[in-house]
Amino acid sequence: MNLPDALHTSSLFITKPKRRRTFASIKAKWRFLVPLLTPLVILLGWHTLTARALYPAFIIPPPADVARAFVEAMQDGTLPKAFGVTFSQVMIGLAIGSILGLSLGYILGRLPVLETLFAPLIIAFQSTPVVAYAPLLLIWFGSGHTSKIFTCAVIVFFPLLMNTLVGIRQIPASLKDVFRVLRASWWHTFTRLELPGALPVILTGFKTSATLSVIGAIVGEFVSAGDGLGTLVTKARYDYNTPLVYVAILTMTTLALSLYSLVSLLEWRLLRWQRAARG
Amino acid sequence: MVTGFRWLAGAVLLLSLGLMVGAQEPQPERFLLTFIPNIQFSPMYTAIEQGYFAEAGYDVTLEYLNEPDVIDLVAAGQVNFGVASGEQVILANVRSRPVNFVYNWFQQYPVGIVTSADSGITSMNDFKGKKIGIPGRFGASYTGLVALLNMAELTEADVELVEIGFNAPEALCIGQVDAAAVYSNNEPLQIQLRAADGDCGDIRDVTVIPVSDAGSFVSNGLITNVDYITESPERVQAFVSAFDQGLKDTINNPARAYLLSAPYIETLPLTPDLEARLTELADIQDTFLALEPTRDDVTASREELRSLLHEEFDDATLIQFDILLNTIEMWDADVPGFSDLDAWENMVTTLTAMGLLDTDVNLDRIYTNEFVPEPPASNG
Repeated sequence: MNLPDALHTSSLFITKPKRRRTFASIKAKWRFLVPLLTPLVILLGWHTLTARALYPAFIIPPPADVARAFVEAMQDGTLPKAFGVTFSQVMIGLAIGSILGLSLGYILGRLPVLETLFAPLIIAFQSTPVVAYAPLLLIWFGSGHTSKIFTCAVIVFFPLLMNTLVGIRQIPASLKDVFRVLRASWWHTFTRLELPGALPVILTGFKTSATLSVIGAIVGEFVSAGDGLGTLVTKARYDYNTPLVYVAILTMTTLALSLYSLVSLLEWRLLRWQRAARG
Repeated sequence: MVTGFRWLAGAVLLLSLGLMVGAQEPQPERFLLTFIPNIQFSPMYTAIEQGYFAEAGYDVTLEYLNEPDVIDLVAAGQVNFGVASGEQVILANVRSRPVNFVYNWFQQYPVGIVTSADSGITSMNDFKGKKIGIPGRFGASYTGLVALLNMAELTEADVELVEIGFNAPEALCIGQVDAAAVYSNNEPLQIQLRAADGDCGDIRDVTVIPVSDAGSFVSNGLITNVDYITESPERVQAFVSAFDQGLKDTINNPARAYLLSAPYIETLPLTPDLEARLTELADIQDTFLALEPTRDDVTASREELRSLLHEEFDDATLIQFDILLNTIEMWDADVPGFSDLDAWENMVTTLTAMGLLDTDVNLDRIYTNEFVPEPPASNG
């Protein structure tokens, strides 16, 4: 037995290691519990607010009314249908925007000349709020799913484009030189250097894009109606059914959070090597 | 002692002056309109510019929101007055919003179905199997369309409804739809203008089937909070009377109303020539009105005004003025502001058929004619 082991097993020091282990396990459990506690605290606050009737029920309905509206919307199929429409628009828009953003971001990251050429166009598009030209998309693509998918893809495209470009650019030139000297093929350079090197930044952009994709689909629905969650909000507003408005909004929030969590999980899985390297 | 008395007298005088000034200060009042500034709101602009609200003790500021937001803010007591459509007021009341409809602004339901004049469609029965554009399955346009379908004993399944947002002229011109539910005083004119410019596909002229063919239905009007009526009925009366004056001025002298509305609508067509001519015609109309003409005479004077202006100016310059004249036809009545019970009951029947109402509705709690100013004794 070496000295540190002897110290740990000595009765003189037995309380310190136990206290460290206890504190560490409490900290780990607390980190797990906090995300669960936060919604409970919000729910409690919401209930207290409505129980005291600080606002009319048609402005802030009680949680029980929202729960009832949720059950009714599930039973009559309104919510599953609306969710299905928005979800499909989000996934297709996310896929299209991601492929285009990643591809163009990589090309511009490798070829700075092209970035200079396209930068004004990219900045102009990025600066223009989607809600400003969403009505034009309705005229160009009609009132079906295409305009909503396009809106979603446009919103997803820019964060991924920029993050991919930055990710590729921030790879140290010295590493690129090593690969060049060793006459690595493009594929080798891409799979062994560029992709792993840019992945952390790309995945950060992907997290942003995943949540923005829900906004894109909803903006499209607010402009051109349809059958998704955005339209459900509008219909519920004109029907003065505030609990149903809350149900639709909470469903959108859940969808956005779920997508964010999925990407976070993907990030945790794909970047294990990074955590291992840091020890 | 004399000095002290002088100080006291001075203080009393100052206090009195302060109270007088305070009493004359108009009460700030927000008024909620819908969507964006538009010539169709000219009675409001006219009433403000003519000082009727100031005389009534109000300093009015205008805000533009979506209709459900207007109703919710009035219902919550955060704003005292707004404009909303009758079917929205019915639905809001059923959903526990304490709002009351106190002045019936539009005497005719403004919605109609517009289609190409060459489409062969002359009645609602001809719409079977056709694509009809609507902003969405909500609001006055949708309700009006359903009323027309019911009249023709058709259902939504007999037509293809296409949700096109507020882009009816574009959707019709590019052939996205065969017809569209629109405000018949507004979009048909715009489509006709595009067609005249050759900018509307194959469409040369339009036909409109108005919802009023299916009967009378309550449309847009002034709303306030039920509690405000209980607490300050005299304030409600003052506000409604001021608006009523603005509406009557607009009906009687549209040229003046158009000029008074210009500061509120950035894109309102008003060339210097048009402005000069409208000013001249507005003064002439004032002279004419001083002779106390009948309502029919005033109607005829508006048509004469329209013909005269079209001889001097092109259609594009006059498009918004024409919209104003068309809209005035929907406001004009023997007693402006009066709500007809039949119109409310027809609306309740339609909303029930649409599945939006499943309880009995007490219309007495929803609208009132209590504040509608009585017509003058010698009414033409």
